[in-house]
Amino acid sequence: MKKLRHLLEYAAARFGFFLLDRISLPAAIALGRRLADSWYFLNKSRRQIAKENILKAKIASTDSEANRIARDSLRHFAVLAVEYLKAENVLNEGNWKEHVELDVSPETMAIIREPGRGIILVSGHFGNWEVAAQILSYIKPVAGITRDMNNPYTDRLMKQRKQRDRYTLTPKHDAGVDRLLSVLKKGEILALLIDQHASERGMPVDFFGIPASTHTSPALLHLITRAPICFGYCLRTGPMSYKFKAVAPIIHKPTGNRQHDVHTILEQLNHELENAIRQNPEQYLWAHRRWKIPPPRVS
Amino acid sequence: MTQEQIIEKLRTMMRKTSQAKVDWDAVNTDSPIASLGFDSLSILDLVYDIQQELGLEFEAEELVKVKTVGQLAAFLAGKQK
Repeated sequence: MKKLRHLLEYAAARFGFFLLDRISLPAAIALGRRLADSWYFLNKSRRQIAKENILKAKIASTDSEANRIARDSLRHFAVLAVEYLKAENVLNEGNWKEHVELDVSPETMAIIREPGRGIILVSGHFGNWEVAAQILSYIKPVAGITRDMNNPYTDRLMKQRKQRDRYTLTPKHDAGVDRLLSVLKKGEILALLIDQHASERGMPVDFFGIPASTHTSPALLHLITRAPICFGYCLRTGPMSYKFKAVAPIIHKPTGNRQHDVHTILEQLNHELENAIRQNPEQYLWAHRRWKIPPPRVS
Repeated sequence: MTQEQIIEKLRTMMRKTSQAKVDWDAVNTDSPIASLGFDSLSILDLVYDIQQELGLEFEAEELVKVKTVGQLAAFLAGKQK
């Protein structure tokens, strides 16, 4: 039964890609928005999670406003998927600057442009992080980590579609320490998303004032390799138009207190992500259970 | 620090960061690090602790080739100035 469902999903995905490759970008975006609205209407639990998260983060104070942002957020992610898949045929090394405005701190840009110097770029499920990685790969190779999809057929299809020369995605189960270290050693960009619930292995760090279990590896990689770490994101400003923003790198001198050092760095990164989200809440993925288990605060 | 002293310090640090139940008193130079309950996250914790507590500078990726506790101790002993 599961295999049948997977095969049906795969067939639907193949048809979706077939259609996407043949219709115009405006038509694809309009279709994506319609599908997002349908999904929003049908998927009550995710709708509820998104609204609760928006209210919890005090992004909205009324149910109707939270509902609007949650719906627009889903529309944004449908458009994100469409534009990411279309970007293969639109963005290239010769024209990407026509589509992207760079707003990058001079120190961070100097590191990105410096051959042989690795950097850890941290972002969240905000804006269009996939296009961000593609854009940056035109300057310096980018390596990211991806989670395998539950459906092995669509997983293989997406990986065939996503792989590019200078932007590589490693499955989470293959992303061991040696792989991450070698990315930085080779002087590449290690792109990590920081806003997934990290379960009991994560560290509780405030996110919108509420402790959220946060992955410690970005901070630890910075502390043990001394590779600079910075926060960046790619905002969608119009159809296939983006603004890539990155702040100055964090260079944190280890104090010998691992918990304190890691917490300080993660707190700073979460704070940057919060600031970005507050300015454009519709471009954040609110339907993820970020505060799944309320961990105790670290004093 | 002698290699034996380093191994003793490593035992203490590893006991703190490992995710598994290990008979730490039985851990010796031939013990494979992979058998001591470290995953990719706790290995990062351990490297931090080693760098800070032993005050040694080294590139984290140099440790990739190190397989046993004895090799780790020898590597760290070699990094002492």
